[in-house]
Amino acid sequence: MDDRVKDDELRLEKQVTRRSFLRMMGGLGLAGITVSLAGCGASTVAGQAGGDGWLPQQYQGRGAWPAQVRGRVPITPDNPSIVRDDEKCILCGQCLEVCKNIQSVFGHYGLPLADEMVCVNCGQCALWCPTAAITERDDTQKVLQALQDPDKHVVVQTAPATRVALGEEFGLAPGTWVMGQQVAALKRLGFDAVFDTNFSADLTIMEEATELIKRIKGDINKPLPQFTSCSPGWVKFCEYFYPDLLPHMSSCKSPQQMLGALVKTYYAKMKNINPENIVSVSIMPCTAKKFEVQRPEMNSSAHYWNKQNMRDMDAVLTTRELARLIKQQGIDLNKLPEQNYDPLLGKSTGGAIIFGATGGVMEAAVRSAYYFITQQQPPANLLTLTPVRGLEGVKEAAVDVPGVGTVKVAVCHGMSNGRQVLEAVRKGNAPWHFVEFMCCPGGCISGGGQPRSAVPPSDEVRMQRINSLYQADARMQWRESHENSEVLALYQNFLEHPMSELAEELLHTSYTDRGKKAKQLTA
Amino acid sequence: MSKGVLVDLTKCVGCGSCMVACKMWNKLQYTRTASDKGGEASLDAENWTVVNKVETKKGNESVWRFVKNQCLHCEEPACASACFSKAIKKTKDGPVVYDANLCVGCRYCMLACPFNIPKYEWDKTFPQVRKCQMCSDRLHAGESPACVGVCPAGALTYGDRHNLLSQAREKINSDSSYIKHIYGEKEAGGTAWLYISDVPFEALGFRTNITTRPLPQYTESILSLTPAVGLGWGALLTGMYVYNRRRNEIARENKSGKDNG
Repeated sequence: MDDRVKDDELRLEKQVTRRSFLRMMGGLGLAGITVSLAGCGASTVAGQAGGDGWLPQQYQGRGAWPAQVRGRVPITPDNPSIVRDDEKCILCGQCLEVCKNIQSVFGHYGLPLADEMVCVNCGQCALWCPTAAITERDDTQKVLQALQDPDKHVVVQTAPATRVALGEEFGLAPGTWVMGQQVAALKRLGFDAVFDTNFSADLTIMEEATELIKRIKGDINKPLPQFTSCSPGWVKFCEYFYPDLLPHMSSCKSPQQMLGALVKTYYAKMKNINPENIVSVSIMPCTAKKFEVQRPEMNSSAHYWNKQNMRDMDAVLTTRELARLIKQQGIDLNKLPEQNYDPLLGKSTGGAIIFGATGGVMEAAVRSAYYFITQQQPPANLLTLTPVRGLEGVKEAAVDVPGVGTVKVAVCHGMSNGRQVLEAVRKGNAPWHFVEFMCCPGGCISGGGQPRSAVPPSDEVRMQRINSLYQADARMQWRESHENSEVLALYQNFLEHPMSELAEELLHTSYTDRGKKAKQLTA
Repeated sequence: MSKGVLVDLTKCVGCGSCMVACKMWNKLQYTRTASDKGGEASLDAENWTVVNKVETKKGNESVWRFVKNQCLHCEEPACASACFSKAIKKTKDGPVVYDANLCVGCRYCMLACPFNIPKYEWDKTFPQVRKCQMCSDRLHAGESPACVGVCPAGALTYGDRHNLLSQAREKINSDSSYIKHIYGEKEAGGTAWLYISDVPFEALGFRTNITTRPLPQYTESILSLTPAVGLGWGALLTGMYVYNRRRNEIARENKSGKDNG
């Protein structure tokens, strides 16, 4: 038995000797080299590098088949409003969809490019991006640094639309009113004063309604209809695509910039603070505001004090950035007690609150314009101007004002809707006296910096936020901007009257023709 | 029919969709060391296509142009002719493809390429040469390359090369703003990727001093003599061998004759 096993082992050892193994391997190697040198094995595509990834379904058709949703928007690395992380981009085409079809920016300018990428900085692409590859440019660290600097007096303002959206970042239903909690959170973050952009929204109405009346009466040589100028995305859109209509634009700065200029002049004076030590921050639903603060002309306080290098506003945080900052600091928004805005630049009326919704600026302006012309309280229907409410693309209303006649107004939101109005104005077919433009669909409540509560943004969420604003307006004791006691005090103590010389210097601005940067499309 | 892509540089808006599509389709990594877009974008083992922003002048006006860069897929590729292991080959569809299984890593292709395209995985233990494959698998299935399919600005057109050439010619002849030159029509004997522009190609970083003669022809003119030289040398040596052998035989015969005699 044992002998047989030994025999087998010997036989096995004989079968694979070292010499025969090496000979076999050598032979195989030679055969392999011959085969590969002859190019065999490369006959199929499978051996080639690349091609083992994927692309979204819309790109899987034949080369000549047109994809409905294609590519992505161009973004320069130095865009002040938005940034993109290529690694997260899946080329779904949603950014392009909103830019091209809702905002009518991409593809609506002639090529080749001049020396910039045409972008109105609205940030809707960031709101639509399902992977958050496009986000706002994060300025939270800049603000944190200022907050930690004991030499700086850091002032913050909050836009009308953030108070009905911030809660969504903390698990609350869309449209939840968190005004008081937001103020409390900002105070806990260490801001020295928390002001309300609604204050300067009221101020905007004072200036804008005065300007409108002057245009209607012919006191100033500017054409009708007057365009609102609160939305920086809309302003840049007009500068690119309708520079010929810029004389229609109200010269009023946006509420953010008005408050910025006042913080470093009026507030600094009243509180006896060196304006150079003030850092002015805003919480906005909007990414275009980040562009707006960088506009070279937004340095009225520097002119006022005759000090160079001062900017009216120093930083803008979107609602999403504020939520991030609050979470980073371990603050639970839901558990905060409500707090009030600080005095001097903190009071507001119902007219200011509805600035956040499409139609709101116009409704507030009409309320005050009626009062300025007639010196009477507007009738009840002007306090609920339903024709300009809701999410219809272009809305119209006619208001009878004693002494003037019928004042016709229009409201549009989303720049493709805006184009309809602009084309009518260009052709001379515009019956309106006053037109409100909001860059983002639904107005600021659905701005590019708002929480991504629905991707792509839904009208349902928009309406929930809008309803919350109108309900707050209805609850307010004061609903007309000219009733704001702090605004009246500001005029009394500082500006004198709407469109005074100082008001013109601090609260009004001029615009830039960017027509050459976005060449007209030729057929 | 050989396929190609026409790049109209006046249409590119620099969105970088093509670059992302290339990464996605070919499963390429995003490297933090080499930029894939912007002013200093450069091709590397993981960046098979990049879009360079060029700030230049057109007349008196400063202008931005975006230049997509990738393998040009020469009609007669020097890289393929230099590749002794046949890892790089020109397919009948047009793409010059690289088979990782066959590459021995000699990097002759990198030296041979007049456009400085093939790149090497310098950081790998077993490195490979890497470059754009013009999505040859997609082309094989009747689709366009991934980059072309995603371009939202219409800067890239895919089709039969000769059709693209006539399209390009029509475009540059009907519009005075274009430079009257189709880059890639004749460079290095012609390439599958063709470019038209309104700014001189030199200003956009293109290499313009490239011969119009296909590069393999230079080596072929010499290497085609190889059989003749080989056979001739063999014949000469055989002749000398036969002559020597015969001489030695005679010498041996003479010697044995003398010994016997």
